[in-house]
Amino acid sequence: MQRAIEMIGIPTVVITVEPEETRQARPPRALCPGGFVAGHSLGRPGDAALQKRILVDALELVTGPPRPGEVVVRDYG
Amino acid sequence: MADAKPLELSRYCVPFTPFQAKLEGASICLVTTAAVRMKSDPPFATEGDTSFRTIPGSASAADLAYDDTHYDHACADRDMNCLFPVDRLRELTGEGRIGGLTQRHFSMGYSSALRELRETTIPALAREVDRERPGVVVLTGG
Repeated sequence: MQRAIEMIGIPTVVITVEPEETRQARPPRALCPGGFVAGHSLGRPGDAALQKRILVDALELVTGPPRPGEVVVRDYG
Repeated sequence: MADAKPLELSRYCVPFTPFQAKLEGASICLVTTAAVRMKSDPPFATEGDTSFRTIPGSASAADLAYDDTHYDHACADRDMNCLFPVDRLRELTGEGRIGGLTQRHFSMGYSSALRELRETTIPALAREVDRERPGVVVLTGG
């Protein structure tokens, strides 16, 4: 899905909890919150500060230096 | 040359569209494969569903539901922002860090019908995303 949207000219970033699977899909931009599992992509329920941090980090991959195909793994505790 | 097939994007190729604007002026579109939908919409079929859904840009996380048997639900049951951070995007807009949200966001569910997804669902969904004229699309998988 991500590749299709990027292909038609829209910059994308994925927040993924399956970094290996995502790497194989050759994502244009990808952030993996380390240690989080499926169903918990943005962290913890009600933890707005953490959710926002992850979202901001994902958006900064869009404005930052290109790393096509790379899944950036960050630790959010 | 009669048999020449159109070239296909190699799976080793990484499509890349540079972002050449400012986040402060960009409208963000959320796209998820976590089977999220408005509570008022019919459920995704959890055993496999190739449809996609539209979520209004004005929706709050509290308006949303999910239909899934493939991921842990402890987070989503309490706060849909764990899968679909629409409230957080609204806050970022209020803080001036992003320009805003698109009028519609989109969601797909689980399906093993890969060919139908590739040939029908995904192109149709990509075209709908394009109609929103987003500056950036943020995807979540669940």
